[in-house]
Amino acid sequence: MKILVVEDEKGLAESITDYLSREGFVCEVANTFWQADEKISLYQYDCTIVDLTLPDGNGFDIIQTLKKIAAATGIIIISARNTLEDKLKGLEIGSDDYITKPFHLSELNARVKSLIRRRNFGGNNDMTWKDIRVNLPARKVFIKDIETTLSKKEYDLLLYFLSNIDVALTKESIAEHLWGDNMDSADSLDMVYSHIKNLRRKIVEKGGKDYIQSIYGIGYKFTAP
Amino acid sequence: MKLLEKASRIYLLASLLIYAAVGIAFYWIINFMIYDEVESRLMVEKQDFEAYVRTNDTWSNNSYFVENKIEVVPVFGKFDNKVVFTDTLIRNRYEENVDPFRQLTFYTLIGGTPYRVAIRKSMIESYKLIEAISAAMIAFLGLLLVSTFLFHRVLSGKLWKPFYDSLARIKDFDWTKNKPLETVRSEITEFNELGDVMEKMASKMQHDYRSLREFTENASHEIQTPLALINARVEQFIQAKDLGENHTYWIEEIYHAARRMSRLNQGLLLLAKIENQQFTEQEELDLSEVAFNKLKDFEDILQHKEIRVTVRSTGSFRKTMSPALADILLTNLINNAIRHNYTGGELRLESAAGYVQVSNTGNPLKSDPERLFERFKKESTGAESLGLGLAIVKQICESCELGISYGYEEPIHTITIRG
Repeated sequence: MKILVVEDEKGLAESITDYLSREGFVCEVANTFWQADEKISLYQYDCTIVDLTLPDGNGFDIIQTLKKIAAATGIIIISARNTLEDKLKGLEIGSDDYITKPFHLSELNARVKSLIRRRNFGGNNDMTWKDIRVNLPARKVFIKDIETTLSKKEYDLLLYFLSNIDVALTKESIAEHLWGDNMDSADSLDMVYSHIKNLRRKIVEKGGKDYIQSIYGIGYKFTAP
Repeated sequence: MKLLEKASRIYLLASLLIYAAVGIAFYWIINFMIYDEVESRLMVEKQDFEAYVRTNDTWSNNSYFVENKIEVVPVFGKFDNKVVFTDTLIRNRYEENVDPFRQLTFYTLIGGTPYRVAIRKSMIESYKLIEAISAAMIAFLGLLLVSTFLFHRVLSGKLWKPFYDSLARIKDFDWTKNKPLETVRSEITEFNELGDVMEKMASKMQHDYRSLREFTENASHEIQTPLALINARVEQFIQAKDLGENHTYWIEEIYHAARRMSRLNQGLLLLAKIENQQFTEQEELDLSEVAFNKLKDFEDILQHKEIRVTVRSTGSFRKTMSPALADILLTNLINNAIRHNYTGGELRLESAAGYVQVSNTGNPLKSDPERLFERFKKESTGAESLGLGLAIVKQICESCELGISYGYEEPIHTITIRG
């Protein structure tokens, strides 16, 4: 899977590529509009991550070019602009997702994976890891082939973990993934805790192992024990 | 007071004073001249009298002088030989009234005996003359006053018209729009200069406003990008396997601080954008519907905090405003009602035509309710609260011309938004 990261802030571009490379993606970076323009006309990517504000051009133009020459490429916008109009405009001209800065790398990773899944399999595939199998279109979860009923938030949480295996996830990133941006309070961290507890219990009940490992002070990691 | 009215008043007052002074001076001059005339005639008569006495050496009170009365009285003892003019009133011989006379008194010897002689001359004709002249003068001065006053008014009105027209245009000028200010041109240089200055200032204001808007956008981008970098680096850092307890604590602090800063930045930028009226899109919304839909987003947390929700709606609250602002307004209100609620508390959402009301149970305010909507006014010391939520609510209400009020009746806090 090849991913192009168009981001002028070098450090941020490096962080993104480092993180996504660990997940098995092949990443390339374009720091300027012209680099990006050149790369998309020369190579094929499965996914492109585009920052809207570039020193020598506008990210929207890159997206429009991409849509013309490589319609199959998934596009995710990362931008500091958080107004509804910008988001709508981004989706209108053909991007698949819109993330506002600052974002969590784990969130970006989950969105990239979800986008590639949708693009490649039309969503008609199973996600399998160890004893866990998730039937995506039906939103059903099987532990050792036994169906487990999860609440909507528990299901979202499980998918988030499955997209970020072996990665330390902060409580904040989980809370934001589940409830969005405007639920910023100590309560949402408590809620994360109680959802994690329920999910762990449901997996163990059906004979799965305890995959959710707590990291003191930081958050959780989904990993084989 | 309007300029024209003020100028008219000053003009009227000054004219009245000047005209009155002129009138009085004129009266005195006429008066003086008439007295001078009468007195010189009396002096001539005195000479006549003396000439008569010199030749005849006698005087009989006959009707030698028809018009004037001459009174000759012998004087005994000492007297002060002086020639004196006096005003006197003499009873009319035929009519029952007194007439004013000017009297010349002097002493002379007739046949060796000293006599006091008083020659009088009637002033009645002269007084009539003074009256006639004064009346005519008052009438003419009054006419002059009124006509110049009216002329001044009309002229000023005409001269100042371009000024008032320009003023009206300046009042209508909106610097958030792109339309430039155009003042009225006239023949008067000062007004044209004023117009030029105003136009320059207006275009500067529009320019500054645009750059401020751009700055707002750019500042957001410039600050969020390094914050995104901090966030990303922290996330990479926590993947390390051998972090000590201290390290995780520090990292957590850095992470929190960066996220807090990002939120603060977003909040302040949002306030600036509302202040600058950058949310121009308008739509007719039902605010009670928006509120009830918003409540659904908070289901999880309401359940988690075991907050009982009561919803009551007796009508729709229609309001034309930016949908984005309406969304932020109600999100912040509900968020506030949840944040300052306690576990097992209550949240009421009530709405009808003209208002939306959010009430919640909570501890009484520690600070002044007047300052509740101020920026960085925090009720809880919890680091999670930024203290911007209600300031944003207030700012949205102000920019959308909605009224906002707060009330507390133990233990229910109520915030009401009125259209």
